[in-house]
Amino acid sequence: MNDKSDGIVIRASNLTKRFGGVVAVDGISFEVSRGETYGLLGPNGAGKTTTMRMISGLSPLTAGKLTVAGIDVTSQAREVRNVLGVVTQEDGLDTDLDAKSNLIVYGYTAGLSRAEAEKRADAVLMFFDLTDKAREEIDYLSGGMKRRLAIARAFMTSPRVIVLDEPTTGLDPQGRNRVWQELETMKQGGVTILMSTHYMDEAAALCDRLAIMHHGRILAEGTPDELVNRHAGSEVAQVRVSNGARQDVVDWIGNAGFDYRDAGAVITVTSRNGARPDLSGLAGVRVSYRPSNLEDVFLTMAGRGLTDDE
Amino acid sequence: MMAATASTYIAGVRLRSIAGIWYRHALVLRRNLLTSLSWYFVEPFVILVAIGIGVGTLVDDVQGVPYARFITPGVIVGSAMFHAVFECAWGGFMRIQKGVYETTLTAPVSTREVAMGDICWTMTRTVVTAVCIGTVAAAFGWIDNVSGVGVLLPAALVGMQFGALGLIFAALSPNVHILSLTFTVVASPLYFLSGAFFPISSMPDWVEPLAWAAPLTPSVHLARGFVTGDLAMSHLLSGLYVVAWIIVLFPIAATLMHRRLVK
Repeated sequence: MNDKSDGIVIRASNLTKRFGGVVAVDGISFEVSRGETYGLLGPNGAGKTTTMRMISGLSPLTAGKLTVAGIDVTSQAREVRNVLGVVTQEDGLDTDLDAKSNLIVYGYTAGLSRAEAEKRADAVLMFFDLTDKAREEIDYLSGGMKRRLAIARAFMTSPRVIVLDEPTTGLDPQGRNRVWQELETMKQGGVTILMSTHYMDEAAALCDRLAIMHHGRILAEGTPDELVNRHAGSEVAQVRVSNGARQDVVDWIGNAGFDYRDAGAVITVTSRNGARPDLSGLAGVRVSYRPSNLEDVFLTMAGRGLTDDE
Repeated sequence: MMAATASTYIAGVRLRSIAGIWYRHALVLRRNLLTSLSWYFVEPFVILVAIGIGVGTLVDDVQGVPYARFITPGVIVGSAMFHAVFECAWGGFMRIQKGVYETTLTAPVSTREVAMGDICWTMTRTVVTAVCIGTVAAAFGWIDNVSGVGVLLPAALVGMQFGALGLIFAALSPNVHILSLTFTVVASPLYFLSGAFFPISSMPDWVEPLAWAAPLTPSVHLARGFVTGDLAMSHLLSGLYVVAWIIVLFPIAATLMHRRLVK
């Protein structure tokens, strides 16, 4: 019963969400331990955002049980939001207020005194290196700054658990790196992070453990290394093929029972039981090998790429 | 209200939620004070002077008072209505679209408290505009009665009533085009139906009952009672009628906001 003593901060069992006849989340179960960074990895439409919204108390459960820090989300949604910091997929910044006022208003509404909110806003702006943007109009901030401000806002109440829906979607590489750095610092500060992403490099860089989601279900769960070793082997073949030979090659790979993804210029083929696909007999083919990654795991699990929709 | 501590609840309503939303709106007003003044002050001032004095030269006294004096209560209450509709229908819709409400809900705030916070602020806003116009009218001598202070009551009631109505439109509108009907099809006709600019008794017989039932009319009647200092039972009934509107509209507004925001 006591989720605090066994170190489990988020406990989801048989979590289900239906919108009319559409099943968005299909009975998933997972646990996140204190201090852990746990990722939900999957393409758009996999059910990640719906899962995050249920945990944040912004979307009622259709079925299942969900507790955060031992608090039941269904019966005590308000209490859950007392312990959680939530960063929604849209930044949700108030363009009628400047950057710092966004933080102060949130902090005050969440329960800090006006003086505490003011002080905390200064500290949070400093941590996110936004001090010189304190009085800036929201519309004049870059995408990366807006995202960091939205994350900063969730930190106004010094939560020990933070829920981050796609922290870097739509950001340029510099913006992404900044957010990654700051999340890493939070992680080292002992904050438990639940995040969703459709970037495998992001999941690999930040997450201690992750669940690969597809069509509302969890296909596989583990540390990034475990998942790669277990499902994609140590390496994949990158096959470059001339257009004339393409169909022959695809047929050959399929018949031989290898998992592959045809990305146009390059066909990626995963090894099977450590065996490389032997394409030496085919004409017009150039093969190279690279270490496997989470994208390849998804390919073998779902038979398609992570960036695909639906 | 600002003193509401983080954990004060009344009947399950967390006061800090309402105070936080009110504070947000107050900061926005402070930030845009000069442009807001045009709303609170210049526009109703222009209507009052242009119609009151301009049209006033063309018409005789109405119900025994000069025309400018006759329209003063209606302009105050009508202006309150436009403020409320603007804040809750237009502003509310924008806050839905921009995810501002969603952010508020990531704090320990309920959708009902979001609606209450917005309506509380709207009431503040309608009272402020009533003070602004009332002061101008008093300077012209169109309000010369101590009981004229009472117009703040219908202004506040209209703030809650049309604030709730505005949130209903915000929650139901799929886009700004539909939303704009709140102004063109609802607010403007109600203004002219309210008896603000001409007595309801001068309307065609079949319109009269409609005009009396319309949601803005009783507030204009009540305001006129305070301005003339001639209060009767009909004014009490008018006030109660508006309160009934508020009691009916608020739960609908809160429910529709919940449906729109929590899926």
